[in-house]
Amino acid sequence: MENVLEVKNLSKKYDNFALKNISFSLPEGMIMGFIGENGAGKTTTIKAILDIIKSYSGEIKIFGLDNRTCDKKIKEDIGVVLDDMFFPEILTPHDINSAMQGIYKNWDSKLFYNYLIEFSLLSNKPIKTFSKGMRKKLEIITALAHHPKLLLLDEPTSGLDPVARAEVLEIFQSVLEKENCSILLSSHITADLEHIADYITFINDGEILLAKTTNELLEKYGIVKCTEKEFQTIEKKDYLKYRKLKYAYEVLVEDKNAFKAKYDIAIVDKITLDDLMVIMIKGEEE
Amino acid sequence: MIGFIKKDLAMIKSNFKLMGILLVVYVAMGLLGEMDISFILPFMSVMIMISTFSYDHYNNWDAYSITLPNGRKNSVKAKYIATIFMILFVAFITLLMAFLISYARTKTINYEQILVTMLGTIFGTLLVLTFMYPIIYKFGVEKARIGIFLIVFGVVILGGFLSRYVDLSVIGKALSFLENYWFILLIIISVMMVYGSYKISAKIFSKKEF
Repeated sequence: MENVLEVKNLSKKYDNFALKNISFSLPEGMIMGFIGENGAGKTTTIKAILDIIKSYSGEIKIFGLDNRTCDKKIKEDIGVVLDDMFFPEILTPHDINSAMQGIYKNWDSKLFYNYLIEFSLLSNKPIKTFSKGMRKKLEIITALAHHPKLLLLDEPTSGLDPVARAEVLEIFQSVLEKENCSILLSSHITADLEHIADYITFINDGEILLAKTTNELLEKYGIVKCTEKEFQTIEKKDYLKYRKLKYAYEVLVEDKNAFKAKYDIAIVDKITLDDLMVIMIKGEEE
Repeated sequence: MIGFIKKDLAMIKSNFKLMGILLVVYVAMGLLGEMDISFILPFMSVMIMISTFSYDHYNNWDAYSITLPNGRKNSVKAKYIATIFMILFVAFITLLMAFLISYARTKTINYEQILVTMLGTIFGTLLVLTFMYPIIYKFGVEKARIGIFLIVFGVVILGGFLSRYVDLSVIGKALSFLENYWFILLIIISVMMVYGSYKISAKIFSKKEF
């Protein structure tokens, strides 16, 4: 399986923040969830991939091509949703269609209008009359309507209600099946990613803390809930991080089955991505 | 690039009504023999195009445009082409109206005077574009407005100073040999300054981060 996106040693320094040697790769036809708290570096990484920010070090390859020297060729096949709204709000979806026809070689007007109907968006209404959720849907539709091979989505479901979120996620999955598209999806709403992502890459304070398959994380990792006395019995090498709560300890373990076999501690739960984020960020190592 | 031009022109369509009203006012004033305001319409077209920068900035279009094929280059090029198209289109309509007004009032058409006025107007609007656009790309619309005010203020002060202390007729006499070529000269200068302005804007935008 070839990688459609390869990021190697990406570093970028700001006055109060830095991306530090970010490396990860996204295989063809897969969805990668890119998670991390606000300000962790998700948007900066996506902006570097898209060449929206410059003067960074490291190497970024998309479809095997350098993202800076093969800009036009690459971007014909990328669909993008950015965190902030990006269409001038005096335009209508019809205007967007007309403009995109002249921008993308593969722009599919029929597909665009089908999506508009599916999402109940009126083509002749200015975007300023749309709710935040409707605007986000329009952005997603626009990202999909030129049959991209790679989708780079920065918080695409933020601002959407649960029904719209489910619709959008279904569309992402169906696009993946029909078009063999790959997706890098950053999101705070980690529950969405648990359902659709094949890989999870976790970034914190400009560094990649973890990059695993979703199955490995959700099936193998676990959270041990124990008393202080029980915690004292656990060897350091058998856990990754722990959190001291008011009346108990939460301990992150890499292999919950191996842990259960070794220790006689009753509660070893399956982990959610939310749990993982909290304990990785707030937890201590020793 | 056509797509970027279409997007810019779509953004100004809501201003067509205002332009229509201005055209009616212009024709009415012309027919009544009041002052000639033919210069207003082309200038307005540039001002309206400048307002598209505000929408782009407010809605983060600039960052998004970079994610589109050849976005860094084409979005700047499109802005210049759309503006020039607007100026020429509006100038053409105004010119036709000027001919009609002239004929309605005097039963003759003073082609030369009307053409000279309109060419001067086009040159003036292109001059605004030439200075404004690179400043907008560098500093944004808000700061550019202050910048253009300072430029105009500086030009007025300089003009006042020169007319008072320098004998400008000397320059006029020195350049008198160009008298028969002013039309071609105006076109060459216009093309050169707009092209130079575009190159500067493109360079500024190629390095921008969002």
